[in-house]
Amino acid sequence: MTFYQKEISRIKNICYSNKSQIDRVVGTRHFIIHNFEKELNLSLLSRVRCTSKFHLLRLYKLYYGQTPKQYLIEKRLEAAKQSLGKGLSITDTCYEIGFESPSSFSTLFKARFGLSPKEYQKKATFTKSNHS
Amino acid sequence: MKVKVIGIPVHDQEKALKFYTEKLGFLKKIDIPLSEGNRWLTVVSKDEQDGAEILLEPSPNHFEPAKVYQKALFDAGIPYTQFNSEDVQQEYDRLSNLGVEFSMKPTEMGTVKIAVFNDTCGNNIQIVQML
Repeated sequence: MTFYQKEISRIKNICYSNKSQIDRVVGTRHFIIHNFEKELNLSLLSRVRCTSKFHLLRLYKLYYGQTPKQYLIEKRLEAAKQSLGKGLSITDTCYEIGFESPSSFSTLFKARFGLSPKEYQKKATFTKSNHS
Repeated sequence: MKVKVIGIPVHDQEKALKFYTEKLGFLKKIDIPLSEGNRWLTVVSKDEQDGAEILLEPSPNHFEPAKVYQKALFDAGIPYTQFNSEDVQQEYDRLSNLGVEFSMKPTEMGTVKIAVFNDTCGNNIQIVQML
């Protein structure tokens, strides 16, 4: 067994010994992955995993280093790139991925990728036509 | 500032290029000849061609401390860097079938699944999947 394998095993025992907590946060993440376009909030997510809102929030942050909401936004914005790349309008993309207003969607998109959805779409179309 | 290039030290750039493209499935992005047969040689993920480039740099051949550091990490089984995968088990099966050697089979560690393979250029590389 290498030094790295020993360290992995040691850290696993210290940090990841609570299987039920891990199953709970992994299940929450999978629920977000499969339902990100729907209206999700902490109350709903905590009901799905039969736990309190604050316990779920604390556990999720502990194991993933971010809140469920931060992950949800990340997931939606990644999906937005796909939709915009396929040529969907900004408004249609916004509603398809679960955001409620195109302006908040555009603000979040620009903050995350450094380009507005429109600029991103223009660049994606240009790149595609250059590759073909 | 942006993260554009991440260096990985390799013993042989041509061999590394073959491994990273033919086995791992990366694409060659930049290949500029430099002095004494060295190249500025980068590859990118096929799925993220505008993402960070991996610079396959021949530093162990030219700078002794780089060689010592790389060997120490390798001997301890420590990955030089890691790449993300959607499915570590599937990637493990695919690469194993191509003859890639793993020092760590797919292993769950809390909220991630990891595996470690030998890139044949002096490094252990970890692949990681968020669970």
